[in-house]
Amino acid sequence: MMKLLDISKKYGEITHKYPFEPYKVSDNFRGKPAYIFDLCIGCAACGIACPSNAITVQFNDDKSKLIWEFDCGRCIFCGRCDEVCPTGAIKLSEEFELAVKFDKSALIQRGELDTQYCTTCHKPFSAKRLVKYSFECLSKANVSEKRLEEAKNYLCMCPTCKKTATVATFTGGKEMVIE
Amino acid sequence: MKTYEIPNEIELANTLEQKLELLKNIGRSFSVFRIDCGSCNGCEIEIFAAITPLWDPERFGFKLVANPRHADILLCTGPVTRQMYYPLLRAYEATPDPKIVVALGACGVTGGIFYDAYSVLSGIDKIIPVDAYIPGCPPHPASIIYGLTTALGVMEQKLQKVSFEHDGDMPPLVEDSVMGNTLFERDLLVQAKRLMSYVFGRKLFDKYIHALVQSGNTKDPKATKVSITQAMQVEDDPRYAECMGILHNEIYTQYVLCEEEDKIDLHRVVWGAK
Repeated sequence: MMKLLDISKKYGEITHKYPFEPYKVSDNFRGKPAYIFDLCIGCAACGIACPSNAITVQFNDDKSKLIWEFDCGRCIFCGRCDEVCPTGAIKLSEEFELAVKFDKSALIQRGELDTQYCTTCHKPFSAKRLVKYSFECLSKANVSEKRLEEAKNYLCMCPTCKKTATVATFTGGKEMVIE
Repeated sequence: MKTYEIPNEIELANTLEQKLELLKNIGRSFSVFRIDCGSCNGCEIEIFAAITPLWDPERFGFKLVANPRHADILLCTGPVTRQMYYPLLRAYEATPDPKIVVALGACGVTGGIFYDAYSVLSGIDKIIPVDAYIPGCPPHPASIIYGLTTALGVMEQKLQKVSFEHDGDMPPLVEDSVMGNTLFERDLLVQAKRLMSYVFGRKLFDKYIHALVQSGNTKDPKATKVSITQAMQVEDDPRYAECMGILHNEIYTQYVLCEEEDKIDLHRVVWGAK
Protein backbone atom coordinates (compact mmCIF):
# COMPACT_ATOMS: atom_id res chain seq x y z
CA MET A 1 0.00 0.00 0.00
CA MET A 2 2.77 2.44 0.92
CA LYS A 3 4.61 1.44 -2.25
CA LEU A 4 1.53 2.40 -4.28
CA LEU A 5 1.43 5.79 -2.61
CA ASP A 6 5.11 6.28 -3.44
CA ILE A 7 4.47 5.50 -7.07
CA SER A 8 1.53 7.89 -7.27
CA LYS A 9 3.60 10.59 -5.58
CA LYS A 10 6.37 10.07 -8.12
CA TYR A 11 4.13 10.44 -11.16
CA GLY A 12 1.73 13.03 -9.80
CA GLU A 13 -1.76 13.62 -11.09
CA ILE A 14 -2.12 12.71 -14.74
CA THR A 15 -5.87 13.03 -15.18
CA HIS A 16 -6.73 15.74 -17.70
CA LYS A 17 -8.74 18.57 -16.19
CA TYR A 18 -10.63 18.63 -19.47
CA PRO A 19 -14.18 19.94 -19.09
CA PHE A 20 -13.04 22.52 -16.56
CA GLU A 21 -9.93 23.56 -18.46
CA PRO A 22 -9.51 23.69 -22.25
CA TYR A 23 -7.81 20.69 -23.75
CA LYS A 24 -5.09 21.19 -26.35
CA VAL A 25 -5.20 18.54 -29.04
CA SER A 26 -1.96 17.30 -30.58
CA ASP A 27 -0.42 18.72 -33.77
CA ASN A 28 -2.12 17.87 -37.08
CA PHE A 29 -5.23 16.69 -35.25
CA ARG A 30 -8.04 16.20 -37.73
CA GLY A 31 -11.05 17.94 -36.24
CA LYS A 32 -14.20 19.33 -37.75
CA PRO A 33 -13.74 20.63 -41.31
CA ALA A 34 -14.18 24.42 -41.17
CA TYR A 35 -15.91 25.95 -44.18
CA ILE A 36 -15.01 29.45 -45.37
CA PHE A 37 -17.90 30.47 -47.60
CA ASP A 38 -16.12 33.47 -49.16
CA LEU A 39 -13.44 31.23 -50.64
CA CYS A 40 -15.73 28.47 -51.92
CA ILE A 41 -16.01 28.37 -55.72
CA GLY A 42 -18.44 25.45 -55.96
CA CYS A 43 -16.13 23.21 -57.99
CA ALA A 44 -17.49 20.09 -56.19
CA ALA A 45 -14.02 18.55 -55.87
CA CYS A 46 -14.70 17.96 -52.16
CA GLY A 47 -18.03 16.31 -52.92
CA ILE A 48 -16.36 13.88 -55.30
CA ALA A 49 -13.45 13.17 -52.96
CA CYS A 50 -15.62 12.63 -49.85
CA PRO A 51 -15.73 8.83 -49.27
CA SER A 52 -18.82 8.92 -47.04
CA ASN A 53 -20.74 11.55 -49.06
CA ALA A 54 -20.86 13.88 -46.07
CA ILE A 55 -20.32 16.74 -48.53
CA THR A 56 -22.92 17.07 -51.25
CA VAL A 57 -22.98 19.69 -53.98
CA GLN A 58 -26.35 19.86 -55.72
CA PHE A 59 -28.66 22.29 -57.47
CA ASN A 60 -31.76 23.27 -55.55
CA ASP A 61 -35.21 22.47 -56.93
CA ASP A 62 -35.59 25.42 -59.30
CA LYS A 63 -31.86 25.28 -60.14
CA SER A 64 -31.31 28.90 -59.19
CA LYS A 65 -28.68 28.06 -56.57
CA LEU A 66 -25.90 25.53 -56.20
CA ILE A 67 -26.10 24.15 -52.67
CA TRP A 68 -22.97 23.02 -50.90
CA GLU A 69 -23.90 21.02 -47.84
CA PHE A 70 -21.78 19.33 -45.21
CA ASP A 71 -23.20 16.94 -42.65
CA CYS A 72 -20.74 16.62 -39.77
CA GLY A 73 -22.58 13.55 -38.47
CA ARG A 74 -21.51 11.54 -41.47
CA CYS A 75 -17.99 12.93 -41.73
CA ILE A 76 -15.20 10.45 -41.04
CA PHE A 77 -12.49 13.15 -40.74
CA CYS A 78 -10.24 11.71 -43.44
CA GLY A 79 -9.18 15.16 -44.67
CA ARG A 80 -9.60 14.44 -48.37
CA CYS A 81 -11.73 17.56 -48.88
CA ASP A 82 -8.88 19.61 -47.42
CA GLU A 83 -6.47 17.83 -49.74
CA VAL A 84 -8.37 18.55 -52.95
CA CYS A 85 -9.76 22.03 -52.27
CA PRO A 86 -8.04 24.38 -54.74
CA THR A 87 -8.75 27.56 -52.78
CA GLY A 88 -8.47 26.39 -49.17
CA ALA A 89 -12.18 26.99 -48.50
CA ILE A 90 -12.40 23.83 -46.42
CA LYS A 91 -9.74 23.10 -43.86
CA LEU A 92 -9.71 20.66 -40.99
CA SER A 93 -9.77 22.64 -37.75
CA GLU A 94 -8.83 21.56 -34.25
CA GLU A 95 -12.42 21.63 -33.06
CA PHE A 96 -13.39 18.39 -31.34
CA GLU A 97 -16.37 19.44 -29.22
CA LEU A 98 -19.03 18.41 -31.69
CA ALA A 99 -21.76 16.80 -29.60
CA VAL A 100 -25.32 18.07 -30.11
CA LYS A 101 -28.55 17.45 -28.24
CA PHE A 102 -31.89 16.29 -29.71
CA ASP A 103 -31.60 18.06 -33.08
CA LYS A 104 -29.18 16.57 -35.57
CA SER A 105 -29.54 19.48 -38.01
CA ALA A 106 -27.15 21.52 -35.82
CA LEU A 107 -24.38 19.44 -37.38
CA ILE A 108 -25.09 20.78 -40.87
CA GLN A 109 -23.17 23.54 -42.64
CA ARG A 110 -24.41 24.80 -45.96
CA GLY A 111 -23.71 27.50 -48.50
CA GLU A 112 -25.74 28.67 -51.48
CA LEU A 113 -23.88 29.79 -54.59
CA ASP A 114 -25.35 31.56 -57.62
CA THR A 115 -25.59 29.40 -60.72
CA GLN A 116 -24.07 30.15 -64.08
CA TYR A 117 -26.38 29.67 -67.06
CA CYS A 118 -25.04 28.50 -70.38
CA THR A 119 -24.85 31.33 -72.91
CA THR A 120 -26.09 29.08 -75.72
CA CYS A 121 -28.76 26.78 -74.30
CA HIS A 122 -29.54 28.81 -71.10
CA LYS A 123 -29.38 25.76 -68.88
CA PRO A 124 -27.67 25.95 -65.46
CA PHE A 125 -24.43 24.02 -65.33
CA SER A 126 -22.04 25.44 -62.74
CA ALA A 127 -21.45 28.12 -60.12
CA LYS A 128 -20.72 31.70 -61.19
CA ARG A 129 -17.73 31.77 -58.90
CA LEU A 130 -16.13 28.78 -60.62
CA VAL A 131 -16.27 30.53 -64.00
CA LYS A 132 -14.84 33.69 -62.47
CA TYR A 133 -12.08 31.75 -60.75
CA SER A 134 -11.15 29.84 -63.91
CA PHE A 135 -10.85 33.08 -65.85
CA GLU A 136 -8.77 34.62 -63.08
CA CYS A 137 -6.40 31.64 -63.18
CA LEU A 138 -6.04 31.84 -66.95
CA SER A 139 -5.44 35.59 -66.97
CA LYS A 140 -2.45 35.17 -64.67
CA ALA A 141 -1.03 32.17 -66.51
CA ASN A 142 0.91 33.98 -69.20
CA VAL A 143 -1.45 33.26 -72.12
CA SER A 144 -2.05 35.49 -75.13
CA GLU A 145 -4.82 38.11 -75.36
CA LYS A 146 -6.52 36.26 -78.17
CA ARG A 147 -6.64 33.05 -76.18
CA LEU A 148 -8.15 34.92 -73.21
CA GLU A 149 -10.89 36.31 -75.44
CA GLU A 150 -11.68 32.81 -76.59
CA ALA A 151 -11.66 31.57 -72.99
CA LYS A 152 -14.25 34.21 -72.04
CA ASN A 153 -16.66 32.62 -74.51
CA TYR A 154 -16.13 28.97 -73.82
CA LEU A 155 -15.98 29.23 -70.01
CA CYS A 156 -19.62 30.32 -69.96
CA MET A 157 -20.83 27.36 -72.03
CA CYS A 158 -22.10 24.07 -70.66
CA PRO A 159 -20.04 20.97 -71.57
CA THR A 160 -22.51 19.80 -74.23
CA CYS A 161 -22.64 23.18 -75.97
CA LYS A 162 -18.85 23.46 -75.73
CA LYS A 163 -18.50 20.13 -77.50
CA THR A 164 -20.90 21.16 -80.25
CA ALA A 165 -19.17 24.50 -80.66
CA THR A 166 -15.74 22.88 -80.92
CA VAL A 167 -16.95 20.41 -83.53
CA ALA A 168 -18.58 23.28 -85.46
CA THR A 169 -15.32 25.27 -85.49
CA PHE A 170 -13.32 22.25 -86.58
CA THR A 171 -15.65 21.27 -89.40
CA GLY A 172 -16.33 24.86 -90.41
CA GLY A 173 -12.62 25.43 -91.01
CA LYS A 174 -12.41 28.38 -88.59
CA GLU A 175 -9.08 29.26 -87.07
CA MET A 176 -8.55 28.36 -83.40
CA VAL A 177 -5.96 29.65 -81.03
CA ILE A 178 -3.90 26.68 -79.95
CA GLU A 179 -0.99 27.09 -77.60
CA MET B 1 -38.77 4.19 -42.93
CA LYS B 2 -40.13 3.60 -39.46
CA THR B 3 -39.21 0.13 -38.32
CA TYR B 4 -40.09 0.12 -34.65
CA GLU B 5 -43.16 1.47 -32.90
CA ILE B 6 -42.23 2.55 -29.39
CA PRO B 7 -44.71 1.02 -26.92
CA ASN B 8 -47.00 3.57 -25.34
CA GLU B 9 -45.89 3.03 -21.77
CA ILE B 10 -42.22 3.54 -22.71
CA GLU B 11 -43.04 6.72 -24.62
CA LEU B 12 -45.07 8.11 -21.71
CA ALA B 13 -42.30 7.33 -19.24
CA ASN B 14 -39.62 8.99 -21.37
CA THR B 15 -40.75 12.58 -21.82
CA LEU B 16 -38.28 15.42 -21.54
CA GLU B 17 -39.68 16.51 -18.15
CA GLN B 18 -39.14 13.07 -16.71
CA LYS B 19 -35.57 12.97 -18.01
CA LEU B 20 -34.81 16.37 -16.51
CA GLU B 21 -36.39 15.23 -13.26
CA LEU B 22 -34.08 12.21 -13.26
CA LEU B 23 -31.02 14.35 -13.91
CA LYS B 24 -31.94 16.72 -11.08
CA ASN B 25 -32.75 14.17 -8.40
CA ILE B 26 -30.54 11.26 -9.28
CA GLY B 27 -28.38 11.42 -6.13
CA ARG B 28 -26.02 8.69 -7.37
CA SER B 29 -23.69 7.84 -10.25
CA PHE B 30 -24.92 7.54 -13.81
CA SER B 31 -24.60 4.02 -15.07
CA VAL B 32 -23.69 3.74 -18.71
CA PHE B 33 -24.44 0.65 -20.74
CA ARG B 34 -22.46 0.40 -23.93
CA ILE B 35 -24.16 -1.40 -26.80
CA ASP B 36 -22.27 -2.23 -29.97
CA CYS B 37 -24.67 -2.33 -32.93
CA GLY B 38 -22.22 -3.57 -35.53
CA SER B 39 -19.48 -1.05 -34.95
CA CYS B 40 -15.95 -1.58 -36.26
CA ASN B 41 -14.61 -1.42 -32.66
CA GLY B 42 -12.91 1.93 -33.21
CA CYS B 43 -15.53 3.65 -31.06
CA GLU B 44 -15.22 0.93 -28.39
CA ILE B 45 -11.47 1.48 -28.20
CA GLU B 46 -12.06 5.19 -27.68
CA ILE B 47 -14.73 4.55 -25.04
CA PHE B 48 -12.27 2.42 -23.11
CA ALA B 49 -9.62 5.09 -23.61
CA ALA B 50 -12.09 7.58 -22.17
CA ILE B 51 -12.73 5.54 -18.99
CA THR B 52 -9.02 5.20 -18.13
CA PRO B 53 -7.56 7.31 -15.28
CA LEU B 54 -6.20 9.70 -17.91
CA TRP B 55 -9.71 11.04 -18.51
CA ASP B 56 -11.52 9.55 -15.52
CA PRO B 57 -15.22 10.13 -16.23
CA GLU B 58 -16.05 8.89 -12.74
CA ARG B 59 -15.32 12.47 -11.69
CA PHE B 60 -18.77 13.22 -13.10
CA GLY B 61 -20.20 9.89 -11.99
CA PHE B 62 -20.15 7.91 -15.20
CA LYS B 63 -19.77 4.24 -14.55
CA LEU B 64 -19.86 1.48 -17.14
CA VAL B 65 -22.18 -1.37 -16.20
CA ALA B 66 -22.58 -4.79 -17.79
CA ASN B 67 -26.36 -4.99 -17.82
CA PRO B 68 -28.97 -2.71 -19.40
CA ARG B 69 -31.23 -3.25 -16.40
CA HIS B 70 -28.75 -1.27 -14.29
CA ALA B 71 -28.24 1.52 -16.78
CA ASP B 72 -29.44 5.10 -17.04
CA ILE B 73 -27.59 5.94 -20.22
CA LEU B 74 -27.40 3.77 -23.33
CA LEU B 75 -24.26 4.48 -25.35
CA CYS B 76 -24.91 3.10 -28.83
CA THR B 77 -22.22 2.73 -31.46
CA GLY B 78 -22.32 1.33 -34.98
CA PRO B 79 -24.66 1.67 -37.95
CA VAL B 80 -27.18 -0.92 -36.63
CA THR B 81 -26.74 -4.01 -38.71
CA ARG B 82 -29.70 -6.29 -39.29
CA GLN B 83 -28.25 -8.81 -36.82
CA MET B 84 -28.04 -6.21 -34.04
CA TYR B 85 -31.51 -4.74 -34.58
CA TYR B 86 -33.36 -6.99 -32.12
CA PRO B 87 -30.59 -7.01 -29.48
CA LEU B 88 -30.70 -3.18 -29.58
CA LEU B 89 -34.46 -3.20 -29.04
CA ARG B 90 -34.16 -5.71 -26.21
CA ALA B 91 -31.53 -3.56 -24.50
CA TYR B 92 -33.67 -0.45 -25.03
CA GLU B 93 -36.77 -2.04 -23.55
CA ALA B 94 -34.83 -3.57 -20.66
CA THR B 95 -33.37 -0.23 -19.58
CA PRO B 96 -35.40 1.31 -16.74
CA ASP B 97 -37.36 4.48 -17.59
CA PRO B 98 -36.49 7.30 -18.10
CA LYS B 99 -33.52 6.33 -20.24
CA ILE B 100 -31.06 8.57 -22.04
CA VAL B 101 -29.85 7.33 -25.41
CA VAL B 102 -26.55 8.63 -26.79
CA ALA B 103 -25.46 7.84 -30.37
CA LEU B 104 -21.70 7.68 -30.62
CA GLY B 105 -19.51 7.93 -33.69
CA ALA B 106 -20.28 8.78 -37.31
CA CYS B 107 -22.00 5.40 -37.75
CA GLY B 108 -24.23 5.81 -34.75
CA VAL B 109 -25.25 9.34 -35.71
CA THR B 110 -26.09 8.89 -39.41
CA GLY B 111 -24.64 5.59 -40.56
CA GLY B 112 -21.29 7.14 -41.42
CA ILE B 113 -19.49 5.55 -44.31
CA PHE B 114 -21.97 2.64 -44.32
CA TYR B 115 -25.02 4.91 -44.64
CA ASP B 116 -26.24 3.34 -47.91
CA ALA B 117 -25.08 -0.24 -47.38
CA TYR B 118 -27.72 -2.93 -47.84
CA SER B 119 -27.26 -4.60 -44.48
CA VAL B 120 -27.53 -1.62 -42.14
CA LEU B 121 -30.35 0.60 -40.93
CA SER B 122 -27.91 3.57 -40.81
CA GLY B 123 -28.16 5.37 -37.53
CA ILE B 124 -29.56 4.76 -34.07
CA ASP B 125 -32.15 7.51 -34.49
CA LYS B 126 -33.88 5.58 -37.28
CA ILE B 127 -34.97 3.05 -34.67
CA ILE B 128 -35.12 4.60 -31.21
CA PRO B 129 -35.30 8.25 -30.08
CA VAL B 130 -31.81 9.65 -29.43
CA ASP B 131 -31.05 12.44 -26.95
CA ALA B 132 -27.45 13.31 -27.79
CA TYR B 133 -25.25 12.78 -30.81
CA ILE B 134 -21.45 12.55 -30.62
CA PRO B 135 -19.95 12.59 -34.14
CA GLY B 136 -16.39 11.55 -34.85
CA CYS B 137 -14.78 8.58 -36.53
CA PRO B 138 -13.93 7.60 -33.85
CA PRO B 139 -14.55 10.48 -31.41
CA HIS B 140 -11.61 11.64 -29.34
CA PRO B 141 -11.90 10.67 -25.64
CA ALA B 142 -12.30 14.39 -24.91
CA SER B 143 -15.22 14.48 -27.38
CA ILE B 144 -16.85 11.57 -25.57
CA ILE B 145 -16.46 13.30 -22.20
CA TYR B 146 -17.81 16.50 -23.73
CA GLY B 147 -20.74 14.66 -25.31
CA LEU B 148 -21.72 12.89 -22.10
CA THR B 149 -21.45 16.07 -20.03
CA THR B 150 -23.48 17.93 -22.68
CA ALA B 151 -26.15 15.23 -22.51
CA LEU B 152 -26.40 15.80 -18.77
CA GLY B 153 -26.51 19.57 -19.17
CA VAL B 154 -23.18 20.23 -17.44
CA MET B 155 -21.75 21.87 -20.57
CA GLU B 156 -23.37 23.89 -23.31
CA GLN B 157 -23.73 22.76 -26.91
CA LYS B 158 -21.29 24.65 -29.14
CA LEU B 159 -22.40 23.79 -32.67
CA GLN B 160 -25.31 25.46 -34.42
CA LYS B 161 -26.58 25.05 -37.93
CA VAL B 162 -24.62 27.34 -40.24
CA SER B 163 -26.14 28.49 -43.51
CA PHE B 164 -24.75 31.05 -45.94
CA GLU B 165 -27.46 32.22 -48.30
CA HIS B 166 -26.15 35.38 -49.91
CA ASP B 167 -23.61 34.87 -52.60
CA GLY B 168 -21.51 38.00 -52.38
CA ASP B 169 -18.41 38.99 -54.27
CA MET B 170 -15.54 36.68 -53.68
CA PRO B 171 -12.07 38.04 -52.97
CA PRO B 172 -9.40 37.64 -55.66
CA LEU B 173 -8.18 34.13 -55.03
CA VAL B 174 -5.21 33.80 -57.35
CA GLU B 175 -2.06 35.43 -56.04
CA ASP B 176 0.47 36.95 -58.38
CA SER B 177 3.15 34.52 -59.32
CA VAL B 178 6.75 35.04 -58.22
CA MET B 179 7.82 33.99 -61.71
CA GLY B 180 5.15 35.83 -63.69
CA ASN B 181 3.44 32.58 -64.55
CA THR B 182 0.98 30.86 -62.20
CA LEU B 183 1.56 27.54 -63.94
CA PHE B 184 4.90 27.43 -62.11
CA GLU B 185 3.14 27.63 -58.74
CA ARG B 186 0.60 25.05 -59.88
CA ASP B 187 3.24 22.51 -60.92
CA LEU B 188 5.28 23.25 -57.82
CA LEU B 189 2.33 22.63 -55.49
CA VAL B 190 1.37 19.41 -57.28
CA GLN B 191 4.91 18.08 -57.02
CA ALA B 192 5.25 19.21 -53.39
CA LYS B 193 2.02 17.39 -52.49
CA ARG B 194 3.21 14.32 -54.35
CA LEU B 195 6.48 14.32 -52.42
CA MET B 196 5.25 15.11 -48.92
CA SER B 197 1.43 14.72 -48.83
CA TYR B 198 -0.95 17.63 -48.56
CA VAL B 199 -0.27 18.93 -45.05
CA PHE B 200 3.52 18.91 -45.23
CA GLY B 201 3.52 19.52 -48.98
CA ARG B 202 1.94 22.92 -48.40
CA LYS B 203 4.59 23.73 -45.80
CA LEU B 204 7.29 22.62 -48.23
CA PHE B 205 5.74 24.81 -50.94
CA ASP B 206 5.80 27.86 -48.64
CA LYS B 207 9.40 27.18 -47.62
CA TYR B 208 10.51 26.81 -51.22
CA ILE B 209 8.75 29.97 -52.43
CA HIS B 210 10.20 31.90 -49.48
CA ALA B 211 13.71 30.74 -50.34
CA LEU B 212 13.13 31.56 -54.01
CA VAL B 213 12.03 35.12 -53.23
CA GLN B 214 15.04 35.58 -50.92
CA SER B 215 17.36 35.20 -53.92
CA GLY B 216 16.35 38.64 -55.25
CA ASN B 217 15.98 37.67 -58.89
CA THR B 218 13.82 34.56 -59.27
CA LYS B 219 14.74 34.16 -62.94
CA ASP B 220 18.48 33.97 -62.36
CA PRO B 221 19.42 30.26 -62.00
CA LYS B 222 22.76 31.07 -60.33
CA ALA B 223 21.25 33.28 -57.61
CA THR B 224 18.37 30.90 -56.91
CA LYS B 225 20.71 27.93 -56.62
CA VAL B 226 22.71 29.73 -53.93
CA SER B 227 19.57 30.82 -52.12
CA ILE B 228 17.91 27.38 -52.17
CA THR B 229 21.13 25.66 -51.06
CA GLN B 230 21.38 28.08 -48.14
CA ALA B 231 17.78 27.36 -47.18
CA MET B 232 18.52 23.63 -47.34
CA GLN B 233 21.53 24.05 -45.07
CA VAL B 234 19.63 25.93 -42.36
CA GLU B 235 16.58 23.63 -42.56
CA ASP B 236 16.30 21.44 -39.44
CA ASP B 237 14.23 18.69 -40.99
CA PRO B 238 16.28 16.78 -43.62
CA ARG B 239 13.07 15.69 -45.41
CA TYR B 240 12.12 19.27 -46.22
CA ALA B 241 15.70 20.04 -47.24
CA GLU B 242 15.98 17.19 -49.69
CA CYS B 243 12.52 17.79 -51.14
CA MET B 244 13.36 21.46 -51.72
CA GLY B 245 16.33 20.30 -53.79
CA ILE B 246 14.13 17.87 -55.74
CA LEU B 247 11.57 20.61 -56.42
CA HIS B 248 14.31 22.92 -57.67
CA ASN B 249 15.77 20.29 -59.99
CA GLU B 250 12.46 19.05 -61.34
CA ILE B 251 10.17 22.07 -61.56
CA TYR B 252 12.30 25.19 -61.58
CA THR B 253 14.47 23.92 -64.43
CA GLN B 254 11.37 23.54 -66.60
CA TYR B 255 10.48 27.22 -66.33
CA VAL B 256 13.92 28.85 -66.42
CA LEU B 257 16.63 27.92 -68.88
CA CYS B 258 19.16 26.03 -66.78
CA GLU B 259 22.37 24.20 -67.47
CA GLU B 260 23.43 21.00 -65.78
CA GLU B 261 25.58 22.80 -63.20
CA ASP B 262 22.61 24.93 -62.06
CA LYS B 263 20.97 21.84 -60.60
CA ILE B 264 21.47 21.12 -56.91
CA ASP B 265 23.37 18.00 -56.00
CA LEU B 266 21.10 16.04 -53.67
CA HIS B 267 23.88 14.12 -51.97
CA ARG B 268 23.78 15.02 -48.26
CA VAL B 269 27.53 15.60 -48.02
CA VAL B 270 27.53 18.07 -50.91
CA TRP B 271 24.86 20.43 -49.63
CA GLY B 272 26.15 20.03 -46.09
CA ALA B 273 23.32 18.58 -44.04
CA LYS B 274 23.54 19.06 -40.31
